[in-house]
Amino acid sequence: MSAGDLTFPQAPGEAGAKTKATKAQTGGEPGTRAKARPRGGRRLGRPRMTGAGRQLDAGPVTYAVLTVFALVSLAPLVWTAVAASRTDRRLAETPPPLWFGGNLFKNLQAAWDQAGLGTAMFNSTLVATTITVSTVLFSTLAGFAFAKLRFRFSGALLLLTIGTMMIPPQLAVVPLYLWMSDLGWSNRLQTVVLPTLVTAFGTFFMRQYLVQALPTELIEAARVDGASSPRILWHVVFPAARPAMAVLGLLTFVFAWNDFLWPIIALNQQNPTVQVALNSLGTGYVPDQAVIMAGALLSTLPLLIAFLLFGKQIVGGIMQGAIKG
Amino acid sequence: MRTSTRRSHGPVAFAAVAALTTGLLAGCANDSDDGSPDATGGGGGKGRITLTVGTFGVFGYQQAGLYDEYMKLHPDIAIKENVTTRTDVYWPKVLTRLQAGSGTDDIQAIEVGNITEAVQTQAAKFVDLGKEADKSQWLDWKLAQATTKDGKTIGLGTDIGPMAVCYRKDLFRKAGLETDRTKLAEQWKGDWAKYVDLGKQYMKKAPKGTKFMDSAASVYNAAVGGASERYYDKDGNVVWDKSEGVKKAWDVAMTAATSDMSAKLKQFDPTWDQGFANGTFATIACPAWMIGYIEQKSGDSGKGKWDVAAAPTAANWGGSFLGVPTASRHQKEAIALAKWLTAPEQQAKVFAKQASFPSTPSAYPSLKPQADTTAYFSDAPLTQIFSDSAKTIPAQYLGPKDKPIDSAIADVGILQVEQKGKTPAQGWEAAAKEIKDVLGQ
Amino acid sequence: MTSSHEALAHPASSAEAAPGNQPGAARGAHGRGTPPKGTASWRSRLYRWDMKASPYVLIAPFFVVFGAFSLVPLLYTAWYSLHHVQLSALDHQTWAGLGNYTNLLSSEFFWNALQNTFSIGVISTVPQLLAALWLAHLLNYRLRGSTAWRVVMLTPYATSVAAATLVFTLLYSWDGGMINWLLHFVGVDPVNWRESDWGSQFAVSSIVIWRWTGYNALIYLAAMQAIPSDLYESAALDGAGRRQQFRHVTVPMLRPTILFTVIVSTIGATQLFGEPLLFGGVSGSKGGSEHQYQTLGLYMYDQGWIIGNLGKASAIAWSMFLILVIVAVVNMLLSRRLRKSP
Repeated sequence: MSAGDLTFPQAPGEAGAKTKATKAQTGGEPGTRAKARPRGGRRLGRPRMTGAGRQLDAGPVTYAVLTVFALVSLAPLVWTAVAASRTDRRLAETPPPLWFGGNLFKNLQAAWDQAGLGTAMFNSTLVATTITVSTVLFSTLAGFAFAKLRFRFSGALLLLTIGTMMIPPQLAVVPLYLWMSDLGWSNRLQTVVLPTLVTAFGTFFMRQYLVQALPTELIEAARVDGASSPRILWHVVFPAARPAMAVLGLLTFVFAWNDFLWPIIALNQQNPTVQVALNSLGTGYVPDQAVIMAGALLSTLPLLIAFLLFGKQIVGGIMQGAIKG
Repeated sequence: MRTSTRRSHGPVAFAAVAALTTGLLAGCANDSDDGSPDATGGGGGKGRITLTVGTFGVFGYQQAGLYDEYMKLHPDIAIKENVTTRTDVYWPKVLTRLQAGSGTDDIQAIEVGNITEAVQTQAAKFVDLGKEADKSQWLDWKLAQATTKDGKTIGLGTDIGPMAVCYRKDLFRKAGLETDRTKLAEQWKGDWAKYVDLGKQYMKKAPKGTKFMDSAASVYNAAVGGASERYYDKDGNVVWDKSEGVKKAWDVAMTAATSDMSAKLKQFDPTWDQGFANGTFATIACPAWMIGYIEQKSGDSGKGKWDVAAAPTAANWGGSFLGVPTASRHQKEAIALAKWLTAPEQQAKVFAKQASFPSTPSAYPSLKPQADTTAYFSDAPLTQIFSDSAKTIPAQYLGPKDKPIDSAIADVGILQVEQKGKTPAQGWEAAAKEIKDVLGQ
Repeated sequence: MTSSHEALAHPASSAEAAPGNQPGAARGAHGRGTPPKGTASWRSRLYRWDMKASPYVLIAPFFVVFGAFSLVPLLYTAWYSLHHVQLSALDHQTWAGLGNYTNLLSSEFFWNALQNTFSIGVISTVPQLLAALWLAHLLNYRLRGSTAWRVVMLTPYATSVAAATLVFTLLYSWDGGMINWLLHFVGVDPVNWRESDWGSQFAVSSIVIWRWTGYNALIYLAAMQAIPSDLYESAALDGAGRRQQFRHVTVPMLRPTILFTVIVSTIGATQLFGEPLLFGGVSGSKGGSEHQYQTLGLYMYDQGWIIGNLGKASAIAWSMFLILVIVAVVNMLLSRRLRKSP
């Protein structure tokens, strides 16, 4: 693997772009990297470590600091679970409960049934997956064009993209709803999907990432070899963009899953996403906080699963080391 | 080898996108607009009409079994409730949908804070229910709030919030105050200032860690809720700074805020709930619907300690209406359901469930709170206290910006004095500035 | 030291040239790539067409969807901002010209919100990005269960805002809150977090920091993974320690991404409304009784959604845009001047 990486820059025009790219891609395989990882004397072995950026071993201090970060990050979610395992009455008392009570499953069951979370989870999965796939794909394409290609008005268009991020979107939901209503789409899932199929954030993010992470020389070399644009995208851009695509996918998925203002305006509980469905909880003059917390917990769980799926993809470093070296 | 496995990801990913897109479109094609027959999947057989009821969640129809009962009476009707719990999102959503002319529910709930705006700006979007229902059933002022100048009634009254004072007998005893509900009511009868005076007395011997009331805003709210002229006069002019009712309520709240008798809580905060649980305040101005809240949050520790006495002056806090948007595709059925849900018998059933007080006086003789609740509040005659209050509530002139003006006074003016140590004059000035901003001046 | 600087000069400077000074007009000259020799003329024509058209093809899907669903509604709000229009009467618009804007300029609440936005923005964004950078650096080590660590750091972003705010409201409650309880041991009097001027801003900022640090860390981590390891190798050969490597390799190489997070966080801070809204509880849109933590985003929410002055609220939205544009221009002029006078 390292041999492949090393020979690559020395023979820019000799092998076909495809071969080069595939070799380069193999460098990105986590499995391969793991195998190539020097077992002993890791710190000394640094010169042989190509690929995924720096991979120094974490010391005990690192683990300690990360543990602190982790505890602070997890605490509210854990407390949500604690609250979901109690009764509404107990939650009003001081000090608030700090450990689990016996009502978790009862409350989860109640939240699931009252909010009709089955349909909602299905809809949210559909919505969030579609938005994620489309945002990641189109952001990568546009971000690549902005980062590495020359075209008329590219500067102005990028500024326009960034500029629109500066205007808060909360008010735009009013004209947007009027429009969706004209299209006859009230309460339908596409009203939630279509407006967020692409985001200015995503395009700007990919642009900034690719400016740095994708060596221009690599594209040039592929061009010299006569590679067409789709081929360059497939074999050079996508592999290089993979860690950023995974992060963007992760962030977009969570955003789409948790987005509530527009979905609540646009949908109702007959065809809801999870955030819309959760509104069915806590009704009556005495909302049951424990059930509300159980709903919040249930709505977060699928995200944790999605995290595990995406999280593994955030391994990076393809061939840049070899290119620039 | 590895190349081939990697490359196979591509087509798979694209196939997934394609499948999702198709699935999405197919899914969208399947669900037609709400309200149409068989629209929402759960409907059942052919020809069954699904009615949707849009609310902000406090009505308790589901919990009281009213939907089920109606569906049993009318097998061709299915009822679904669409809830948006945050009222600050619910109302903009309804306004947008009304004006878009689509997506409204067949029945749309309107909170009292929004009713005047609805009457003044959205009357054309609602069916005139005055022609459909027997208007004499409702309290006059309740009906008037939902009726336009030319006599169109856009919403039927659901509950109201007649005011009483809930108090902790045990704490009163320790502070050496009267504990009998009739005698107490006698002591403060006619003026909330007398209630606050009693607070001063309470604070002299207050049990450790307790205050007289939960918040100064609470007594303001109760006092202003009994004034017929508050922020608008009957011709719709903004008169809040000249209004007698506002001035009096403000003064009472200022006395409360500046004499250390308030627990300085903010209502509906988690800490407010804790205040109930820990018994940190001895009284609260309580509309009927708050009864259940107090019982739940105070828990077992408050059982038999809470009592209810008549308020100094009759006042109303809260309540709602049900309207039928003209955009509803099943107006006839929706009107029938709205009439049924707001009929005295049904209002009595909701009262039995969660103490939402009916706006139809004919229901009053038959009101029965739950036995537990009565016991919890020391066997106070809840029905009688609230009915008496309800019958004497004066008509109030509301305006389109009633809610934000009210919030400007309570959450800016009073809070500044209560929690930030500002003088009453400063608080008033701050509220005035805020209201100017609200009115866009 | 010196040698390590020299060794690193090349990548650092090339990284410097890349970000923002001429956004979009990146250096790639491949648009003019030489067509492959010895191919048939139709192929070279196809090739040239590919060269010319592909950028537009690549950005087209983005701009079509973006234009239709984001840009058009935003332009509508620009139209609203020039009118007196209430949320309850959208069809009843009267021309206001710049009236809504001049109204803002003379509004004490607007200036107050602007000031709060700035102070909350600074005390939330700066520590947040620094912590994120540090966290990303730690996550970039070879860790046992690296995926799990990353997942955990992102949980604040995934945790329901309502649940998180409930926790923080309890933590910061005046009477019996855990933070005041801890302060009590140090001999500090209980702080009324929600109503005190700096206390409320600090509390809101802490929620923001908690929620977004892991998010930004992950963004940094992705960029770190693309840093060629040989840069570290040569730095190491030059005797640079871990810390120096971080300063002289990692940070310069992350510049475009850092620029990105700074811009996005600045925008986010300007529009901040969810956290303070929920922190405030009932009528949280006021941002405290003296508007002590009312941000511009919250002021807009209050005007548009609670009060219903859609015209004025839209003017606030667009004034945020104008403010950020001014900030950007000033920033550009300053950095240009700084570069001229080294």
